[in-house]
Amino acid sequence: MIDRQAQLLGMEAQKAQSISGTLKRFGAHFRPYWLPLLIVAAAIIFSTWMQVRIPYLIGQAIDCYLTPYASRVALTGNTAGVTLPPAAAEFFSQMAGDTAAGSNCTYTTIDPTASYQETLTGFTQLMLVMVFLYVGSSVLTGITFYAMSWAGFRVLRDLRDDVFRHIHRLSLGYFSKHEAGDVMSRLTNDMDTIQQMIGFGVVQVVQGVLLIVWIVYVMFRDNVPFALISLVTLPLMVIFTKWFSDQARKAFRQARKEIGSVNADLQEGISGVREVQAFSREAENIEQFRANNAANRDANIKAQAYTSALAPTLEALSYVSLAIVACVGGIAILRGGSLMGSAVSLGLIFSFIQYTQRFNMPVQQIALLWTNIQSAIAGGERIFGLLDEVPELTDKPDAAAMPPIEGDVRFEGVWAEYNPGEPVLKGVDIHARPGETIAIVGPTGAGKTTIINLLPRFWDVTDGRILIDGRDIRDVTRDSLRQQIGIVLQDAFLFSDTVLNNIRYAKPDATDEEVIAAAKLARAHDFIERLGEGYQTVLGERGGGLSQGQRQLIAIARVALSDPRILILDEATSSVDTRTEREIQKAFAVLLHGRTSFVIAHRLSTIRNAHQVLVVNHGEIIERGTHRELLAARGFYYDLYMSQFRRQLDAGESDEELAEEVDAFFAPAD
Amino acid sequence: MQAAGNPPRAGRRGRGGPNGARPKMSNQALRRAIRYVWQYPKVTWAAVGALLIATLAQLAVPQLVQEVIDTITSSVLNEMILGLPANIQTFAAGQLGLDLATAQNELNGAERAIIMAGLIIVVFAIARGFFSFAQTYLSQVLSQNIAFDLRQDLYAKIQRLSFSYHDRNRTGQLMIRATDDIEKLRLFLGQGLLLALQSIILLVGTLIILFLTNFRLTLVVLPLLPIALVSFMVFGGLAQPLFGEAQRRLSRVNTILQENLAGLKVVQASVAEKREQAHFKKAIDSELEQRIKITRMFAILFPFIFLVANLGQAAVMYFGGRQIMNETLTLGEWQKFSLYLVYLFMPLGQLGFIISLMAQAAASADRIFEILDAKNDVENKPDAVELGEITGRIAFENVTFRYFEGSEPVLQDITFTAEPGQTIALLGGTGSGKTTIINLIPRFYDVSAGRITIDGHDLRDVTLESLRQRIGIVLQETNLFGGSIRDNIAFGRPDATEAEIIAAAQAAAAHDFIMEFPEGYDTPVGERGSTLSGGQKQRVAIARALLMDPHILILDDSTSSVDLSTEYQIQKALDKLMHGRTSFVIAQRISTVLNADQILVLDKGRIVARGVHEELMEDSPIYAEIYHSQLSEDVELA
Ligand SMILES: Nc1ncnc2c1ncn2[C@@H]1O[C@H](COP(=O)(O)OP(=O)(O)OP(=O)(O)O)[C@@H](O)[C@H]1O
Ligand SMILES: Nc1ncnc2c1ncn2[C@@H]1O[C@H](COP(=O)(O)OP(=O)(O)OP(=O)(O)O)[C@@H](O)[C@H]1O
Ligand SMILES: [Mg+2]
Ligand SMILES: [Mg+2]
Repeated sequence: MIDRQAQLLGMEAQKAQSISGTLKRFGAHFRPYWLPLLIVAAAIIFSTWMQVRIPYLIGQAIDCYLTPYASRVALTGNTAGVTLPPAAAEFFSQMAGDTAAGSNCTYTTIDPTASYQETLTGFTQLMLVMVFLYVGSSVLTGITFYAMSWAGFRVLRDLRDDVFRHIHRLSLGYFSKHEAGDVMSRLTNDMDTIQQMIGFGVVQVVQGVLLIVWIVYVMFRDNVPFALISLVTLPLMVIFTKWFSDQARKAFRQARKEIGSVNADLQEGISGVREVQAFSREAENIEQFRANNAANRDANIKAQAYTSALAPTLEALSYVSLAIVACVGGIAILRGGSLMGSAVSLGLIFSFIQYTQRFNMPVQQIALLWTNIQSAIAGGERIFGLLDEVPELTDKPDAAAMPPIEGDVRFEGVWAEYNPGEPVLKGVDIHARPGETIAIVGPTGAGKTTIINLLPRFWDVTDGRILIDGRDIRDVTRDSLRQQIGIVLQDAFLFSDTVLNNIRYAKPDATDEEVIAAAKLARAHDFIERLGEGYQTVLGERGGGLSQGQRQLIAIARVALSDPRILILDEATSSVDTRTEREIQKAFAVLLHGRTSFVIAHRLSTIRNAHQVLVVNHGEIIERGTHRELLAARGFYYDLYMSQFRRQLDAGESDEELAEEVDAFFAPAD
Repeated sequence: MQAAGNPPRAGRRGRGGPNGARPKMSNQALRRAIRYVWQYPKVTWAAVGALLIATLAQLAVPQLVQEVIDTITSSVLNEMILGLPANIQTFAAGQLGLDLATAQNELNGAERAIIMAGLIIVVFAIARGFFSFAQTYLSQVLSQNIAFDLRQDLYAKIQRLSFSYHDRNRTGQLMIRATDDIEKLRLFLGQGLLLALQSIILLVGTLIILFLTNFRLTLVVLPLLPIALVSFMVFGGLAQPLFGEAQRRLSRVNTILQENLAGLKVVQASVAEKREQAHFKKAIDSELEQRIKITRMFAILFPFIFLVANLGQAAVMYFGGRQIMNETLTLGEWQKFSLYLVYLFMPLGQLGFIISLMAQAAASADRIFEILDAKNDVENKPDAVELGEITGRIAFENVTFRYFEGSEPVLQDITFTAEPGQTIALLGGTGSGKTTIINLIPRFYDVSAGRITIDGHDLRDVTLESLRQRIGIVLQETNLFGGSIRDNIAFGRPDATEAEIIAAAQAAAAHDFIMEFPEGYDTPVGERGSTLSGGQKQRVAIARALLMDPHILILDDSTSSVDLSTEYQIQKALDKLMHGRTSFVIAQRISTVLNADQILVLDKGRIVARGVHEELMEDSPIYAEIYHSQLSEDVELA
């Protein structure tokens, strides 16, 4: 029991801390915009003052001008010629409220003999003051709204900017474990909930709190016991607000999870729409989406049930407190005009009725905003949570820039893993001398891509080390390293931008001529020319509108343009026809003369001329040598190579005949 | 940062939404969205009923408060009079028009009267609370249901829109419509509409009460209403295109974000982070600019409406005050009048807020219906028939195809027949039209001229579902879904048994590597299959197609990332599996296509040679060259 209590307390404390921590971080983001905030603060104080001042002036207009005048008129009209007994006179003047004791007029001194004209002038002047205040408060409202949104939107912009930068710092490892959709939803949905609060919401809350404090102060100043009675429902309001908002927060958390799966469904359904149609999965997908969509709807309705109950509850409570004030006050007057030792007058009751009515307005407003505040804070937590994610790969503090690379690359006993305890590379040793072409071959999933992923430090080795020109690549800055490495990835990723910009992606300052030269080199120029708008053609998502091979050619042109010191081609031409591939190879041989390159390919014609062929299997290099040496060794590589012909053999072409032919072709010449 | 030398990125992410629609004023879309409300007549009427009661109750508040005050005042008055010396009592009572006996009676019942009045308020509070809860809750139910419907319709439409539509649109843009735009529309339909109704009832009800209370004073405030209404319409009209533009800019932000997540490796490899950041900054700045523009407008509208309302109040005070002084109005009447005045101006303020909701909703509704109304290029004909049992003969007859109306044809005059059980290999240079040909078979696109038949039926005469169910296809670009390996293989047949899944995986030479994973078939593959190697992904995709047990199998370059010996295994399995079925194979590797029954050599969208391997070796120099470059070049080297 006690444990549970302590646990609960602990939880509460933790929650509170994270809320204040989140608020503090928001505060830090607001700091650059202190000037508009200062303006907002001043405007809030001033307009709160005005909210108190204006009703007061209305009351004064009645008490100082209208009531005295009206009662005087009534008196003189009705009592003309009658001598009033003193008690009656006092009674009437008390009714009229123009004796010093009974009057509520403090704005001006009442001249009991003022003429119609004089009264009108005074009244008009007071009205002009009011009009002036109204105009002033409208202008202030506008300024507050604008300044707060100005600062708030900028804070949001800065936060987005931070998150985006952070995404770039996070390594690929983070994204193979976290869904991009989740990151997206932090940057859209969560930002949205904050946006709803950060503008006018904050202003309303602050102003509401000020107003409440002010009214409570005035109440206690006027009459302490009566103030206590009018605030009798306040604890109930607090309790209800807390309970409802707790329930709502739980329900909203569920709803947020559901909108998450709706988003994930949308994302997959849209980006995978071709597969969906190819496999006639539309109906199932739509049904599945219906389930998530409905769950989202129901979770939202449930959460909204709590929020829609809160405001009416508070409103009802406010009427109850009104009834209490009226009843207690009325009865107190009837029973001798005192309540717990303080004097109660009719005027006091009226003003307290007014106070309670006015008190309830900000309370309700804050209550309504309460759920929004909760979800904004929760959104903030999620965003800051992402920002707090420590990048796995960072530059060492003393990392130097990589000097121009000669091209001597060494892997020394390299181990690597994606999931802890499941090594993908097990002690890989490679030595590439400047200018050499290293071919990496092997069965799928052997670890070829993993090997070359280590060079530009997309991932880091878990054991062993990689040296370029004798320097451990973990000792240099990543940017300076990557700038000198050109890599064509296994799946060519293109942006939905113009062809021109896609090619010069890694070298933004390249001239159009350079771009075209690179495209020619990659044998992409001809087909680009044939596109609707040539180099200015805007590609679809991921290079849509081009054939697969064409995408690869553009990816190759991109790397050719960046003129790297080390080149990595990971099945860069797997979808390109052989003729084009050979032309590209020849062109690259000239361009990259003296540069080290790594080539992964399954089509063995691609790698025949490599200086070294490394055969990888199960994360280890099991054979190495030149194409000829490896064929001669008749090991793994030879088998791999020969499987190209096995179908022909199967097809019944005379085995021996073909075998002889093949042997004749491939037996080492010497 | 990096401003110098930064190339202009004219096209990138610069395109508008589908069809590049420009901002236009249209409430038509909004009106259409409102029609969704009537799909829930019960909830709607219940919400409207609750709203009516709650609003009427609200109108009664000043009356109630007034009554309490009156009760107290009169009791106090009675007490005062009765407390006066006897000689003046009668006189004072006469002056106030009271009767002493009644006064005494009233005073005796005063406490009870006050308590009764208090109790009435409490009862009323409960009723008002209940109905206003019912109103909000029901409107939430309504709006969530409408959002559900819209989202469902949108998703269903997107799933069925043909490839050509998706070629033109970005995932990020479509996502924003199904989330953000629907939410904006929902806010208006759920809150805005009912609030508007409430405001109008309050407005009209209050006007009636005011007219009944004091006709002349009401005339004083009347001119303010048209001023407010006109400014609402003007602002609403101005705001809608601004909101539309804001949504468009938001889509752009989202697209950049999505591309950076999808292409993170390329961004990092190209050391383009700084540039992308600058680019993103520009996009969020431009969105910010638009939001500020909107804010500026509403920073004028809101205070303006407040001012109009407040000035109305001041005018009433002034003229009312004069009337009091001229004795044409009593103080009490005047107070009651000004209490109700609040109810005249509160809804005005509310309407100002609703206008902003409406402007946003109209912009969003436009964007939503743009998708719902998009023409689908590939659809079932109204009289399309189910494709019955087929043998699998596919014939292309003078097929010409272009991706866009009026552009250069990508395929020209393609004619060939695939006999049942044959394997057709397509060979040709990059961009020669191989993928395009096979994309026509499952009707991802429709031919521009000529026709394609399956067992003699024109493809366009049969239903899409019955056609596609008979085709197993491995697309050139492998795309897996975020679930487990099992989910992915069973994608086309979620009801497949474990044995069938394993058999398909074995045929695709995927079983062994799957079993090497600690979790086997339950291994999650990550987004788009990101935790699998290229060849592993392709083999899962092949298994996925084989599980369909297709009559027609299409393999588009689907072993390009698979090593030679694994490919050999797959081919052996396929030879057995596809016996008697028609298959189409595209490959750059000549060894993949050697054994085909027909090899079609394509060049620039035309078939330039056809035949079997031996024939082509003789007849087609292109073919012979490809063959030699891959399989016999070593001779030259030797
Ligand atoms: N991001 C990742 N997270 C977890 N496991 C991964 C990840 N990427 C690859 N793997 C696993 O690591 C192993 C080696 O993959 P790698 O991509 O290096 O193979 P590969 O030799 O390039 O194969 P292929 O020829 O098919 O491209 C595979 O079993 C693969 O499933
Ligand atoms: N969705 C599309 N919209 C417009 N044009 C396209 C589209 N897809 C392909 N093209 C164009 O049509 C031509 C043929 O493309 P296709 O994809 O059929 O080539 P392919 O023979 O499959 O080439 P690869 O071997 O590179 O895959 C190319 O010039 C390409 O640019
Ligand atoms: Mg790989
Ligand atoms: Mg293709």
